[in-house]
Amino acid sequence: MTRLTDIALRHATFLVFALVLLWFGLQAPGFLSPESIANIVKQAAFIGIAAIGMTFVLLTAGIDLSVGSVIYLAPLIAGFAMRDLGIGVGGGLVVAVVSGAFLGAINAAAIVGLRIIPFIVTLATLFAFRGFGAFLTGSQQFDFDADMRAFGLASIGPVPLPIVFFAGLAGLAHVVLTRTAFGRQIYAVGNDPEAARKAGLPVDWIRARVYVISGACAGLAGFVVIAQIGRLDAGFGEGREFDVIAAAVLGGASLFGGIGSALGAVVGATLIQTVRSGLVFTGVNLYLQPILMAGIIFLAVLIDSLRARRARQLKRRTIRPIDA
Amino acid sequence: MTRLQALAAGTILAGAAMTAGSASAATICFAFQDLETEFWVAGHGAITKTLKDAGHTVIERNANEDANRQLEQVRDCIAQGVDGIILIPQDGESATTIVAEAQDADTPIAVFNRPPSDLSKGIVVVADNATIAGQAVDSIVEKAIAAKPEGKLNAIIVVGDLGDPNAVGRKNGFYAAINKHADRFDVTEVASQWDAATALANLEAAVTANPKVDLLFTSSDFLFPTIRSVFEPRGLWKKTGEEGHVWMAGLDGDATACQLVKDGFVDATGVQDLYFEAEKSLEAILAAIDAGEAQPNEVIEDPGFALTTDNLGTREKDMWGCVLLSQGFLKNKS
Repeated sequence: MTRLTDIALRHATFLVFALVLLWFGLQAPGFLSPESIANIVKQAAFIGIAAIGMTFVLLTAGIDLSVGSVIYLAPLIAGFAMRDLGIGVGGGLVVAVVSGAFLGAINAAAIVGLRIIPFIVTLATLFAFRGFGAFLTGSQQFDFDADMRAFGLASIGPVPLPIVFFAGLAGLAHVVLTRTAFGRQIYAVGNDPEAARKAGLPVDWIRARVYVISGACAGLAGFVVIAQIGRLDAGFGEGREFDVIAAAVLGGASLFGGIGSALGAVVGATLIQTVRSGLVFTGVNLYLQPILMAGIIFLAVLIDSLRARRARQLKRRTIRPIDA
Repeated sequence: MTRLQALAAGTILAGAAMTAGSASAATICFAFQDLETEFWVAGHGAITKTLKDAGHTVIERNANEDANRQLEQVRDCIAQGVDGIILIPQDGESATTIVAEAQDADTPIAVFNRPPSDLSKGIVVVADNATIAGQAVDSIVEKAIAAKPEGKLNAIIVVGDLGDPNAVGRKNGFYAAINKHADRFDVTEVASQWDAATALANLEAAVTANPKVDLLFTSSDFLFPTIRSVFEPRGLWKKTGEEGHVWMAGLDGDATACQLVKDGFVDATGVQDLYFEAEKSLEAILAAIDAGEAQPNEVIEDPGFALTTDNLGTREKDMWGCVLLSQGFLKNKS
């Protein structure tokens, strides 16, 4: 029984995910069709890509509240570059990612260089980046050329491009976090920055890099969605930082650092989108949708916290056995 | 460039400027929630241009979609001793609080377009969203039924943020039109929360669940590009008269909708008479200031109208989006 409970708690998010799929699948059989599943993953790519970047930040016990504004500003800069420099969609994609990385570097410089806490820095840049975008556009929408939409709606074989980016980034981030020295250093900094510093790790440099990564991912996320819509409105991305953080946390990332994974962010973002799509499929009253959404997220996080508590109990028992 | 165009739209308010000029030079606080769509940008441009042209001082405050910040900004304006306040609120509840705050301080306040929950306080200039939406949806319902006289029709409504009274009014107007033929329509509601990415995800899900769509109403014209990105790959983005055309209507009357009606992709859009609303807001607040009335209470309703493919030739010039379009507003459109 305890063993079963342990297994259930260890895979809590996946369990909730499976239950959600099963529930909506029973309510609306078309929900489990390949097209529907592909659509869910495609739409999850937006928040998921940004959540992967956010996971890097959360692993160091930091936070990046500016992602919603980077999601808006980076594709906007890319749009200007595409229109005024004629660099094409591929070039625009690179500009969006580089712009996002640059905006992340501004956060990093203030956090590491000026020693201001991440919450304050990224809260300030949340407004500053959006304000700069509004200044550039006069709060007007930015319309992209038709080839942008063709890019956004393109597929590689049967796989839509947003899913390709999502999967590619998730794989890359997973490798970085689990197979490289930099990845291990991120966990070390998040678990105990002082110990990491004493071990000779360049803590500031590691912290700076995760904000650059977060910015780059947010820039990519924004570009991927705008490529589908073809228009960037002034309000685009507003409030999305909360969805991104929710997806990362739902995927198992701890706000206190040291715990989390890229694949967890993928699961978190996909779970959120699965619930959203399921609510549409089953025609749930629009007033009830946010309540049900919040309830499912709360349930997943609650089970995850039970898992964490159970894990701590098991750890303690190993060190100091009860019958000793 | 586009800002200049929006400001140019304000020149249409020359008549209002004459009225505005009748009040002695006043200091007006213009507190708006944000400028996220064409409608709000054009409204902002129309109001500020007209006030400044008439010699009034305008203190602008952008709340960036934060109701609490907007309340603080209005308090700041009151502390500065402004003569009047024009407010574009974040939502109906916060508008009620802000109006009460202004009236307690004996500062006249006019609420533009997005009404407070309590309409009895302040000058409220508001579009009759339900009626305007009803007119637009009526026109496409009739055409959809004429095109398919038998059997069920599948309709989608893209709903706005249900905390916004405008969104609720538009939803009610949609159902008022649909319910005249309730036995003919199956309706799917899609939440947008006034956000393009949310609308994209939810509309994709809705169309995946039921790929057969006969009619769509979007609660705001700014979502048409999002709708296009969902419909186009599925062969649903067709002009009137083409096989597979989805009867579509929106509401706002922006430049994109004007272009799409002209192109034949969209069949109707409910038009808020932006110029009427801006003119009446200014007239009322300046009249109250002139009369020394500290707590004016008045509801001014914008009846609006529906621009359709049938009346495009005669009503086009009355739609603010078509005026902007004729001035090159969508110059960089694809």
